[in-house]
Amino acid sequence: MIYHTLLFVLTAVFALWAVMARKLLTSAIMLALVSITVSLIFFDFGAPWAGVFELSVCAGLITVLFIGAVSLIRDHDEKRPENRSRFHALPLAAAIFAIAAWFYLPAFFEELAGWARVGNGGGTIGLALWEMRRPDLLGQVLMLAAGVFMIKSIFPRRTQK
Amino acid sequence: MDKGLLAYLLIPLFTAVLIPFIARNRPRLADIFANVTLLAGLVNLLWLALRPSVIAGGFADIPGDALSLLLVAAVYLVGLCVTFFSAYFMEEGLPNRQAYYSLILTSIAAMTGVVTTGDFFTLYVFIEVLAVTSFALITTDDSAGGIEGAIKYFFLTFPASALIMVGIAIFMISLGSLSFDSLRVYMSSDMPDGPVVFASALIMLGFLIKSGVVPFHAWTPDAYQGSYAPVSAHLAGIVTKISGVYAVVKLATLLRFFDGRAQALSELVMFLGLLSIAVGAIAALRQTSFKRMLAFSSISQVGYIVLAAGLGTPLAIMGAVFHLINHATFKTTLFLNSASLEKAAGTTDMDKLGGMEHAMPWTSWTSVIALLSTAGVPPLSGFWSKLLIILALWESGLKTYAVLALLFSIVTLAYFMIMQRKVFFGRKSPAAERSSEVSAPLLAPAVLMCGVIVALGLLFPYFYQYVKVVAERIIL
Amino acid sequence: MNLILIPIILPIVSALALLLISERTRWLKELLAIAASIVSLLAAANLFLLPAQTLSYAWLGGGISFTLSTDTLSAFLLLAVSLFSAAISIYSFSSPNKGSAKWFFFNLLMTQAFAAGAALSDNMVAMLFFWEGLLVFLYTFIALSQETKAAKRTAMKAFLINAVTDLCLLTGVVITGYIAGTYSMSEISHNKLTLDYGWSVFAYVLLLIGAVSKAGAFPFHTWIPDAATDSSAPFMAYVPAAIDKLLGIYFLARASVYLFTLNGTMQLVLMTLGAVTILVAVMMAFVQKDYKRLLSYHAVSQTGYMILGIGTLNPIGIAGGLFHMINHATYKSCLFMTAGSVERQAGTGDLSKLGGLFRAMPITGLCFLIAAAAISGIAPLNGFFSKELIYKGTLDTGYTWFFIAAELGSFLTLASFLKLGHSVYFGKRPEGLKDTKEAPFSMLLPMMAFAGICVAFGFGARLPVQWFISPSLEALNLQHGLLFGFHADKLYFVSVIVILAAVLNHMLGLAAGGGKADKASDHIHYAPVLKETYALAERRVFDIYELAMDKVVPPVSYALFKADRFFDWAIDTVPSGVTGLLSGASSRFHNGSYPLYMALTLAGAAVYILLVGGFK
Repeated sequence: MIYHTLLFVLTAVFALWAVMARKLLTSAIMLALVSITVSLIFFDFGAPWAGVFELSVCAGLITVLFIGAVSLIRDHDEKRPENRSRFHALPLAAAIFAIAAWFYLPAFFEELAGWARVGNGGGTIGLALWEMRRPDLLGQVLMLAAGVFMIKSIFPRRTQK
Repeated sequence: MDKGLLAYLLIPLFTAVLIPFIARNRPRLADIFANVTLLAGLVNLLWLALRPSVIAGGFADIPGDALSLLLVAAVYLVGLCVTFFSAYFMEEGLPNRQAYYSLILTSIAAMTGVVTTGDFFTLYVFIEVLAVTSFALITTDDSAGGIEGAIKYFFLTFPASALIMVGIAIFMISLGSLSFDSLRVYMSSDMPDGPVVFASALIMLGFLIKSGVVPFHAWTPDAYQGSYAPVSAHLAGIVTKISGVYAVVKLATLLRFFDGRAQALSELVMFLGLLSIAVGAIAALRQTSFKRMLAFSSISQVGYIVLAAGLGTPLAIMGAVFHLINHATFKTTLFLNSASLEKAAGTTDMDKLGGMEHAMPWTSWTSVIALLSTAGVPPLSGFWSKLLIILALWESGLKTYAVLALLFSIVTLAYFMIMQRKVFFGRKSPAAERSSEVSAPLLAPAVLMCGVIVALGLLFPYFYQYVKVVAERIIL
Repeated sequence: MNLILIPIILPIVSALALLLISERTRWLKELLAIAASIVSLLAAANLFLLPAQTLSYAWLGGGISFTLSTDTLSAFLLLAVSLFSAAISIYSFSSPNKGSAKWFFFNLLMTQAFAAGAALSDNMVAMLFFWEGLLVFLYTFIALSQETKAAKRTAMKAFLINAVTDLCLLTGVVITGYIAGTYSMSEISHNKLTLDYGWSVFAYVLLLIGAVSKAGAFPFHTWIPDAATDSSAPFMAYVPAAIDKLLGIYFLARASVYLFTLNGTMQLVLMTLGAVTILVAVMMAFVQKDYKRLLSYHAVSQTGYMILGIGTLNPIGIAGGLFHMINHATYKSCLFMTAGSVERQAGTGDLSKLGGLFRAMPITGLCFLIAAAAISGIAPLNGFFSKELIYKGTLDTGYTWFFIAAELGSFLTLASFLKLGHSVYFGKRPEGLKDTKEAPFSMLLPMMAFAGICVAFGFGARLPVQWFISPSLEALNLQHGLLFGFHADKLYFVSVIVILAAVLNHMLGLAAGGGKADKASDHIHYAPVLKETYALAERRVFDIYELAMDKVVPPVSYALFKADRFFDWAIDTVPSGVTGLLSGASSRFHNGSYPLYMALTLAGAAVYILLVGGFK
């Protein structure tokens, strides 16, 4: 239970951070962390497929793309001052939402648990990653390579300027 | 995953990983490695498909479903042209030369993966890899247009990824598996089909967005126009065709097993195909930038493929596949020529060019061949594919579509003639006075492609035999 | 060469040869033309005497055979055509006012050839070929007969009227051929078409229009009076007076008797058409003040008798129609020739300026008298017998009204010829015509020949009826009784009454017109009601051609012009305009705005999902 609570809290914190971060790069990384914690929650609730999707697609793929994009547009975004004061109200709103959720969300979760159908194939992260995902493993490797090369391609130019 | 063709994926990937280490201090080695890898792959493929004994046997010895082999060959061919062209096109001082080749090889590996894979999720992952590599490649020369194009490409195709994901998730829930075969098995059983059809529609939509079909085409002109010159050939010639159009065709072949239950979807796809043909052709008429015009032409030609895919009869699928291959040949030629123009005359603005034929005869005449093939003038290859598509439409009783497709083929000829007149023919412009023909290595890919265009057109009976083998294996 | 081809080929060859001859040569052209037409005449006569023969070639891919046949009707017609051609070419030898001699004879010979072809053709398509060829030479004949603009205008008028009706004929022939399954007239006649259903009625009416228009019946006659003033006397004597009547009535007879079995309604239509033509034209003729123009209206009016005769559908009437056809050609040609002679010798055709020429030109005057008496139906000239046959046929049908109308026509005909003859040949000779001499022999010869024929066919009506008319009826597969002979029956007395009435009328007119013969018609011309009608007619209000040219053609051509502009605009401006607009719009749309593109993508996706999801 504590493990669950910890994951929930971490997700919330990362999400808030993602929204409030001054640097877009930080935002993107925080988003990736949100995805990772969410996928952990999925695993924990016995939905390995959903977890794997979240992990590989959101945490892996999309983050890579985001970071690429962010690194390109970083320069002129940072030059533009932005009124960020309204974001400071966000933690407050989140806190109010959390307290409200404390009262009525558990019942909702109970109901959700009853819907679990496909995800109950179950198993560990390792099983899900290695046994069930062999076909697209090659794709993941390729994705990794692509990410690396992209960063290698884009960042030298950044540093030169 | 077609195991027989796995090597064509792994070897470029291996070279891609190798290049940054080997060519760390000698950048030219990167050129050589990339070219040799692709050339070797291509030669190997040709040996596999075009041995006299194979031809004599009516292509019955082709491994796999034959379509994969054909498309892998197209990928390698375009890839080789682009890398060879890049090797002589690229400025010496470009800091990320090694990364550039690595990215191209990675994208080629990913495209090989796309065309050989057997399940939706892998397909999706490879397509995302393509998105990432293209994103990086577009911005190779770090121009403002490149960055804008890359960002538009990325963000405007992002909804596609989301839609494909949702579709795949529904497949997962309904089918319990993600392979193409499971879809076929499921549809032949009596299980409820609503969610599956809907998911197919969502995935189809995602691929349509990635193909740049109207009204999801907005990213294509900016991306093609802004991208680094040889990359635009790579992108327009093969990458978007594999990541979007091929997937549409593949899904369309699977829709045949829906037995009419996805009729609305097929009709919608056909309509979007026709819309693309029309909008692309009409928009191309008024463009002043050569590359932007080619981008709209690309939208229009993709429309033909999508139209045929939506129809889904064996003849239409054959036409679609053939047109896909043809599109790779002629659009690569035209984009490479635009790159040559850019290098020689310093601009691709058609209003500033004129009379370039005197300065660049080879570029001019390879363009003529490519554009005639695009417009479907016999006996070039483009004629046969359009003929197959229009015949298929006519046979299915969709005479309005057939007539409109034919009509816009004439519009195609019109805008290319306008282009040819503005850029190559006519009075010599100051730009033509200054410039001279590019070097032979830069011409070689265009000439090679023209050779392929003419050969495919003249040797159409053999090719038709091959495509029939494809149709028998994947459709019937 | 087959004899049957000579009347067709020889004139064509001679006509083409004529064009090679220099305009300077004096007699060569004339002599060549005369020779050609006389040889043709001999060939025609030979053909007439020989038993019927047929010449057939596979034509137009074998589906239609080009068949010429000389059954007795066709041979008779060919003989008539050749005879008139020969006579006119002789007459034209020294006739002035015929335009360029080269072109005149070229047109004459061409017309002869094509008319001969049309007469001989058994196949309707072949006949159409010749028939349409005549149209071309009709135009050139009129247009080249005088240098004036009016000649060109009248030529165009004649051409257009006949072109429209020939088009009707063409359509009719096609439909007839389609219904019958063959274009051969002799084959159709074995199994005649009936007017039981719409298409065949339509086809017959179209054929009828073509035939009566050629013959120059009301309301397609309007170019003939114009041609009378704008063209030459030889032309008038040849084409509207002879050839057109021959062919038109010939085909009318073919269509009405040979190809179709008509019913009572169509009979009534034909007879009404005949009667109306008689009356309208003769009313107009009566008040004319010009020699040729007066004659030309009579040429129209007499057509009415022929149509009336054929419209009776009984053998007597048809025999009368055909007999009247040949008679009319004879005396009307003769009359036009006298007109030409007078014009040549006196220099004018205006009745008010002529007078007392009988003494100066006795032979011409005599010929005129004979021909005028013939056309007025005075016994025992040929016109009397043919008209008697027609009256008899008309009375046999039981429609007395048509008989009365025909008699009324006769009355007015005679009255107008009394006026014409009186004002030209008798009365006081004007000062300017003191030195007028008789016309040259080449003009007198054909005139006298025709006058002779009028007399011969009158006194010896038995001969032409036996030789020409009976065989023609046989060719039309008609059984008939006795057709000739002078009967002093009621009909004869009616015609005597008509003659007397006409003379009476002429005297009245003279008295009213102050003794001037050319004003002898004024008491009718300026009678109440008629005066206004005539005024309107003079203004050509009743002329369908002028009406069409004034009222219909300008708006139609304007509309067509606008339609043409529209199509031009549609294929020229619209595509480029629309594509320009569309591509301009698309250029403006593709403005690089990321939110716009995203909105488009998302909206498209939403619509797509809705459509696929079944919200159709």
